[in-house]
Parts: sequence; C-alpha cells; structure tokens
Amino acid sequence: MTRLYEGMFLLDNQVVREGWPQAKARVTETLVKHGATIVSARRWDERKLAYTVKRKNRATFLLCYYEMGNEHVAAMRRDFDLSESVLRYLMLSCEGIPAGEAELAAAEQAADFTVPPPPPDDAVEPQPVAPQRRRDDGEFVVPDLDALALEDDEGEDSRPRGRRPEARASTTEA
Amino acid sequence: MVHPRRPPPPPISGKFCDDPHLDYKDVANLRRFLTAHGQILSRKRTGYCAQCQKELKQAVKRSRHLALLPFVA
Repeated sequence: MTRLYEGMFLLDNQVVREGWPQAKARVTETLVKHGATIVSARRWDERKLAYTVKRKNRATFLLCYYEMGNEHVAAMRRDFDLSESVLRYLMLSCEGIPAGEAELAAAEQAADFTVPPPPPDDAVEPQPVAPQRRRDDGEFVVPDLDALALEDDEGEDSRPRGRRPEARASTTEA
Repeated sequence: MVHPRRPPPPPISGKFCDDPHLDYKDVANLRRFLTAHGQILSRKRTGYCAQCQKELKQAVKRSRHLALLPFVA
C-alpha cells in the first residue's frame, strides 16, 4: 500500500560544504533505492542544534515528501541509521503536502538557487542584548541609596502607629 | 489559618482550541508552551483540551528528537 510520507533529515554540515546537490542526493538516492517516489525535497534550514548530535552542534535540515510502500520502511530506516552523513531523521505518514511546499521545492531547482556555505560548527549565534549591569569601565552600577531613602521619607504616612486611645481605654475598662 | 489560594494565571492559548496548528517545525510557537527548563506546561496553563494537549505533546517530542528543542534546558 502506497502512502505519502514526510521526512526530515539532519545532514552533516561537512557533507553540505562539499555541495548541496550532492548532499541532497545522498538522501534522495537512498529513498529511491527503496522504491520511493520523491514528490518534493528542499533545504528547510540550517541552524544550531538544541543539543549535540553525533558530536555536531549545527546541521542542515532537509525536508522531503515522498510516496512509497510500507514494506520497505524498515530496510530504509536501517540504511539511514548506518549513514554517516545523516545525523538524525524523522519519518511521518501525512495526509497531503502543505500549501506552498511545491513552489518552495521548485524554487530550489532553479539555476540561480545557491545554498550559502554553513558556518563552522562552533559558531556563536548573536544573542539578544541583556540589560547592562556594569559600566563600560568595569565598575558596578551602585544605586544612590540616599536618594532612595529620601523618596521613601516623602511617601511615608505621618499617622501614629498603634492602637487608638479610645480602643485602648475600652480594653482597660473590660 | 486558611491562606487564600492564589488565582491561576490565564491560559496561554485562549479559551478555544479547535484548530491549534501545532507542527513540530514551528519551534517559535512551541516554545510558548514550555517552561524555562524546557518542560511542557500543564493543561491548566496551556488552556488546551485533552486532544489538543496530546497533539502539543507529540509536536514537542518530535521537535526534541530533531534537536530543535532541548530535552532539558
């Protein structure tokens, strides 16, 4: 029984640096070898991984949609498990191809489509700037405690604290 | 002495969850339903029904498998 599958493959950036068509072909050829019909295959993203996978911190994601029978899935999984260029993969059965997926895959087939070379594995992504706690000269920014105390005095309530005199008198009578 | 119970924070997803659009590739959306340590929020916090909460769980676990989201942050 033929089904439509969605596959996401994490490719080693070292393989991608040798050329994106060759890296993509490593996955698609394995799919075709096991009787799959490629509907679309495109580069999804290149990003830093949330944790280290096979000693790699970054990977390129390849998103594929393909049709194949379920009798070859186990053998295909074994091939991807043994592959060194595929760090990790996820294969799901899906109902249909999302809208716009075919256009994105066709855009990758264009002659002027180029994949930027992936950054080095230890590249640091720019982080959002945190609020600065130190001055540029290395000194701590100490708040003006006297000014804060004056502000507190101005806002202080001038009413006397404690119990009311009449209430105290009633308690003494009781 | 009985302490008054603190009211729970409002749910993230709103009142209705008919079509939550949860996909394992939509990492920015899934991060809204995780704690700072990467744990999935409870139904009380997400506001999802049981079925949608299961879809959220499945999407987060798929993202974790592909190293798009951390298991522990």
